[in-house]
Order: sequence, then C-alpha cells, then structure tokens
Amino acid sequence: MINLVRNEMLKLLRKKRLYVIVLIIAFLVPLFTYAQFKEIQDQREKLGNQDWRTVLQQEITDTQNRLSSSRIQDEWRKYLKIRLSQQQYYLENDIDPRAPGAPTFMRIFVENSIDLLLPLLVMVIVADLVSSEASGGTIKLLLTRPVKRWRILLSKYLAMLLSVSFIVLSVAVLSYGISGVVFGYGGWNMPLLTGFSVSGDELITDNVHIVPQWQYILMEFGLVWYVCVIVGTLTFMLSVLLRSTAAVMGIMLASLIAGAILANMVSSWESAKYFFMVNLNLTNYVSGMATPIEGMSLGFSMSVLAVWGIAGFIIAFVTFSKRDIY
Amino acid sequence: MSQSPALEVENLTKRIKGKQIIKGVSFTLFPGEVFGFLGPNGAGKTTTIRMIVGLISPTSGTIKIGGRNVRTDFTEAMRHLGCIVENPELYPFLTGWENLEHFAKMDPSIPKSRLQEVITLVGLSNRIHDRVSTYSLGMRQRLGIAQALLGRPKVLILDEPTNGLDPAGIREMREFIRQLAREENLSVLVSSHLLSEIQLMCDRVAIISKGSVIRTDSVQNLLAEQERVIWKAEPLPLAKQLLSEETEVTEGADGTLITLYNEPLLPDWNEKLVKGGVKVKEMRTQLPSLEDLFLEVTGGESID
Amino acid sequence: MKKYTLTAVSIVSIAASLLWLFGLGWTLQDQFTANEKVEKPREKTESASTEKQDDKLTIVALGDSLTRGTGDADGKGYTGYLTDRLKEKTEQEINLLNSAVKGETSRGLLKQLQQREIQRQAKQADVIVMTIGGNDLFQQGAALESLDMNTINSKRQLYLSNVKKIYTQLRDLNKDAAIYHVGLYNPFSNLPDAKTTSSIVRDWNFQSAETAAEYEDIVYVPTFDLFQLQVESYLYTDQFHPNTEGYKLIAERVASLINFEQEEDES
Repeated sequence: MINLVRNEMLKLLRKKRLYVIVLIIAFLVPLFTYAQFKEIQDQREKLGNQDWRTVLQQEITDTQNRLSSSRIQDEWRKYLKIRLSQQQYYLENDIDPRAPGAPTFMRIFVENSIDLLLPLLVMVIVADLVSSEASGGTIKLLLTRPVKRWRILLSKYLAMLLSVSFIVLSVAVLSYGISGVVFGYGGWNMPLLTGFSVSGDELITDNVHIVPQWQYILMEFGLVWYVCVIVGTLTFMLSVLLRSTAAVMGIMLASLIAGAILANMVSSWESAKYFFMVNLNLTNYVSGMATPIEGMSLGFSMSVLAVWGIAGFIIAFVTFSKRDIY
Repeated sequence: MSQSPALEVENLTKRIKGKQIIKGVSFTLFPGEVFGFLGPNGAGKTTTIRMIVGLISPTSGTIKIGGRNVRTDFTEAMRHLGCIVENPELYPFLTGWENLEHFAKMDPSIPKSRLQEVITLVGLSNRIHDRVSTYSLGMRQRLGIAQALLGRPKVLILDEPTNGLDPAGIREMREFIRQLAREENLSVLVSSHLLSEIQLMCDRVAIISKGSVIRTDSVQNLLAEQERVIWKAEPLPLAKQLLSEETEVTEGADGTLITLYNEPLLPDWNEKLVKGGVKVKEMRTQLPSLEDLFLEVTGGESID
Repeated sequence: MKKYTLTAVSIVSIAASLLWLFGLGWTLQDQFTANEKVEKPREKTESASTEKQDDKLTIVALGDSLTRGTGDADGKGYTGYLTDRLKEKTEQEINLLNSAVKGETSRGLLKQLQQREIQRQAKQADVIVMTIGGNDLFQQGAALESLDMNTINSKRQLYLSNVKKIYTQLRDLNKDAAIYHVGLYNPFSNLPDAKTTSSIVRDWNFQSAETAAEYEDIVYVPTFDLFQLQVESYLYTDQFHPNTEGYKLIAERVASLINFEQEEDES
C-alpha cells in the first residue's frame, strides 16, 4: 500500500499541480496581507488613535447606527445584532479579537477562505486524480496489475488526503510567514473567546470560554481540513464517475459557488441546510457568527458533511470496482 | 504442445444493455506460441481482450491465466499477464524509468534489477531518463512492451501492436515478438485486423467475426487447406472439360484454370489431360493470402 | 534530488494530516463538552490605559444622530467640523472618539455609559461634547408627537432625571473634562404650529440648561437662535437634521467656547 500511495504522490508532484496551488497561495497571501494592512492603517488614520478598544468601540457604534436604520433587512439585522453582542463581549473582557500579528492574520485568512477559496484549491488538485487516468488511457495499465481495484483507488484516496493536508499546511505556513513580515510574528498566546452559540437572534454565552490563539487556530485549521477532506471526497467521487476533468471541475465549481450564494439567501428555505455546500463555513460556529439557516450548529453541519462525504466515498469505491473500462 | 495451457478462455460472453456483444468465445494458448486474434474492427476483439485482462467483467464464461481464474483469483492471475491494450498510454509527465518504476512498485514480486533487464531487452537504455512526452511512437511502443514484461509474465497480450508504426517499426516489432516467444517461452496473443501481419507473426489464429470465433487452427493448416493448383494448358476449353470431370474447376485470369490441391490425385489428373491431347504448359501450387481465406470463412464479409 | 522532494513532501503531508486531525479532535472536544464559564482572562492583551494620551487632545462625542452627523454631505457632523476648527486654531493633534448612535435617547445614552469601553473613553477625554434629548422630545424627526402639555411634561421629567444621571456619571468618570451639551433647535419653526413648538423647545432648553448649571464645567450650548430665522437653509432634505451649513454653525459655536489654554493647564 505504501508503494501505491508513493506512486500516486509521485504523479501528483510530477503533474506540478501542487506547486501551482502553493504558488497561488503565495500570491494571494501578500494580497490579503496588504488589504488587511491597509484596513488597519485606514482605521488608524480615521481615528488618530491606536488603541484597539477605540477601534472596536467605533465598530460597535457603527453597527448600532446601522441597526437603527429602518431600511435594513431582517437577515442582516440579525447578523449585526449577533456581531454586536459579540464585539461587546470581547470589549467587556478586554480581549482584542484582531490584535495585529501573523497568527491573527492566519486566523482571519482561513476563516474567510474556508467556504470557497480552499475548497476551490482542493478541487483543482483532486479533480483529475482519477479522471485523468481514464482520459489518458493509463487506467488500462494501472488496472491490469496484480493489485485489486479498491486498493488502487484507496491509494489515490490516501494521496488525496495527503495533498489536502499539504495544501492546508501551505496555507498555514505561507500566511504566517508572509504576513509576519508586516504584522510581526507574535501573538500566539493572545486569549480568544469561543463557544458562542446562536439561538434566534440571541447570542448565548453560557459555554463561552477562553482559549489561547494558538489553540484556536489549531482548532480552526482542524475544521478547515475537515471541510477540505469532504470537498475532496466529493470531487474524488465525481472524478471516478466522469472521464472529463473539465466536467468534474465544472460541477464542483458550480456547486461551491451556488453554496456561497445560497448561504446568503436561503434562510427561509429550511431544507436547503441539508446541502453540503451551505455547511462549509464551520469556523463560523467557533467564532460565533450567525448561521445561514435556523437550526444549524457545528454538530449539525459536521454531520451533514460527514453523510455527504461517506456517501461520496462509497459511491466512488463501488463504481470503481465494478465498472467496465472501455 | 503437451504443456499445460498458459491461457484458457472458455465460453466467454458479454452482454451490454441487452445486446450480446460476445457470444461464447473459447480458445487456448500454449507456452511459446504466438496466437493471432483476427477480425474486422468491431468484431469484438478488443472487448474480448479487455475481458481477459480484467478491465471488463464478462457476463459469463471463465478465463484462466496460468491456471488462475481472473475473476476469483485476480491478483495471482494478473501476476502472469503482461499487456498493452490499444495504444501504450504511459504517463507523459514521468520519465521512462519512472513509468517502469511506477508499475514495478505495484507488484512486490518484481525485483529492482528487472527494470534494467527489460530496458536492455527493448533497447531503450539511451533515452530511459527522458520524459515520455518526448518519445516517438515507436519508443512508446517499446516502453509499453517493457512495462508488460516487467513481471516475467507467462502470457503477453498485445492489442494491435503495430498500429501506427512505420514499415520498419512493424518489421522490428514482428521479429521482437517472435523472439520473445522463442527465447522466453512466452505465449503471445496478438490481435489485429491486418491479415498480412497475423500471417507473418503467428503460429495459430482465431478468426473472430460478430462476437464469435468462427475458426481456430494453425496458420499452416488453414493455408494448406486452401492451397490451389494453377494450370496453364492448351486448348483451354478442353482442359477445363476434362478436369471438371474429376474436380471443381474455376477459370482464373489470363487463361489459367484453378483447382484444389490434392496431392495423391494430381498425377492422375495430369495424365488424363495429356492423354486427352491437352498440352500442359505449366502447373504450380499457390498459397492463398489470409484475405482470401477470410472472405472464404466469413462468407464474404468485408474486412474494414 | 527529485526522490528527495517526494519523500519530503510525503512526510510533511503525513505530519500535517496528523496535526489537522488533532486540531479537529480538539475542536470536537472543546465545542461539544461543557466548559467552565469564562474567568477573567489571565493574560490581558494590553493593560487598558486610562491615562490621558500624552499631548494629544481627546474629544469624546456622545449622543444621537446630530453628533453622528446625519444629514451632513461629508458625514462629518458638527464634531468633525469642530475638530477641524480646533486643529487649525491650536495646531495640535486632536483625537475624536465619536460613539454617538442614531436615534439614541437619554435612556439609551445612560445605558451606553455603563459599557466599559465608553467609560474608559470618557475617562480619557479632555473635552466631552454631546447631543441628547432630541429623540426624547421629537418622534424620529417626524413632528412633535403631540402638543399636549401633559405628555410633554412627563417626557421632560423623565428626560431631565436621565440627564442628571448622565451628568453625574460623566463627572464621576472624569472630574476635569469640560462637557458641552449642545441644545435643541426647533426644526419646525417655519411650520404652522411654530409658536407652540418653539415654546416647547425653548422651555426644554431652559430646563436642561438649569440642570447643567447644577454641575461644574457643564456647558449647555444653545443652538435655538442659530436656526431660528433661516431654518430652511440650514436643514437637510429630511427637514429635521441640519445640513452641512447647519453643522458648521453648530461647530463654530462650540469651538468658540472651548478654551485650550485652560484645558492644557489643567492636564
């Protein structure tokens, strides 16, 4: 098995896709770093004060002002209210949720890329894992070896897991390394609050507790990895089912983007919460943001994703071991 | 040929969407022989081969490679098999060496030294560390054979091995295949729609048409059966009349008569003609091409 | 070399997988098991400085939409123009902290003053400016809810008691800062009921000023006169909030009241 996985890793590396992904991340991170830097600078300029409390207070005031506008949508109002009570909670506990520093940037970066950017990157890697063998004809050589088909597919799946881990790691390392140049490398021990839960438009703080930022980041990366694995598994399934890599990418791209759109507008369509793509934003539960649909929670979303993932996995393996190859 | 068969195919059928594609194909390959699988495109050659190598599961029938059943004992059966199905599609982004190493790793029984052996055998030593995307078709074909030979198979299956090769390449390939059978005692199954190729390469041949084998025999036998005698004689009408009293006669081009080759009776026929006042100018035997043969057995179905 | 890359990437990936798996497990453990309530953070991000910030002048602005600047084309409001003005005058860095919320009533402001951060800001302030009461008296800028004196009287009583508490609270937080409470003008002075409304607003202002006078260094800044004559040219299209010109007028007036030499001497 190790040999098989090694083979798959070799092919992955030789196809240069991993490098491309790393390059994309290496290109995007400075972009976001600059944006973040600009934002902080802008705020400083506007307020002429460097104290984060003032900035946060300013944001709270801004939010309150927006809330007092009558033209605001219910959706948005709910979101703002939750945001507001959270910000106030941070302020009350004297915790700066955005103290600048590479770890903070890392955290904000993954929180924002968990539902679209990272799944897209994973998809680029995984989409052609099986379909390229089919379209390139190499599958005929691969499957006429003295190795059972499920073992071959499993080796590909494991290679997929490894490359997902690699991508997530590159995001971590690159975002830390690059943003640290601007924001400094400290801040791992900064305390952060987690355990918020949302019921209706109330923020429940019963289970709120403090974790140091390094643990918080590790937890978020764990969730990011989980999301990427599920997206990877589904892409993998499509890659087994379809010969054309472009078709795999097209379908995944459409569903991921549909998920991003749906998450913003499905609050009244309750059964939409069973789609995998509206459940990708797992880090929101840790940081205590409003859920797109009532009744969603970390446990719920993870279970929905798990069901999709397991189904995809089974479909992939059953079809692959039974299928006739022409 | 008293050895145990290297490949046994028995009553193989395949149904796709209610349509019977392969209708009970059976044949056997013995060690050291080159077996031709001959038929027009769409006759079911490739489907049959894909079933043998395990890419397609048969609807019914058994396939045994080296005595192991492909369906129940896939791994062991595959140990004894090397194949190229259609084109040798290798990973273009890997080097030749990496490609071979990749496939060698999939079978733990292949020692590392085997790589160098097959590379020497197919004569690719110079370019083995170049990327496959830079290879010519002939080189890819050779690399394909190298990967097929990695596991010291008992059976080598080559689907259309000379497809796309130039005449020199075709001749080289043909000699190489014969050499493998002779020196390594390999059974080689070669499929082709080109009759001349089979004729030059194979010991035995199975003719397949519309999903069933219509004839399996040694190339020698098939040819002998169809051997003819060409007569040049004067006067032609008289000769024809006399001969038709003894056997079936057809009139050939440029004033010749054609009869079947029947060794014991041939002197009598000749004597009869001479006695009847016919001058026999020329009498020769002719081997028909497989083209003629094919037309004969399939009843005139076109080949391409 | 190439072999080496493959091995390195594989090993790194395996290590990463384990790390992320661990992170995931930790998340599950952390999020799904009850945790003890948050204790006060052991390690503070930065000790909250309640000291005034060195040589900078800090203006803290509190209150309602007027302080926020609703209606001003530039969104600065009188606080913004005030700051600009003062910068010119003193050539000093001025730090404006505007925590005003649209629609804030005296009760709302009192509640806001319980927040830690607002308190901290108030402590730091050299000058506090505020507008409050408009939303107690007028209903969301529409009109006077009713001209019934009884209703207005009870509203005013409530407002005045709140304002007292606000003043007291601010003074408790910051003994030194001068507080400028910007008064009400009558946005309806060109409407039919102008006489009645004006008298109500005047009365309101008078009572507020009386209350302010009970405290040290709280200045109730009149604006009624500013808007009395040409109210239309100083009002925003909603006929309630000032426009840019109106805000500039208010800023002028407040600016003229702020005496720096004195502020600096005190600090």
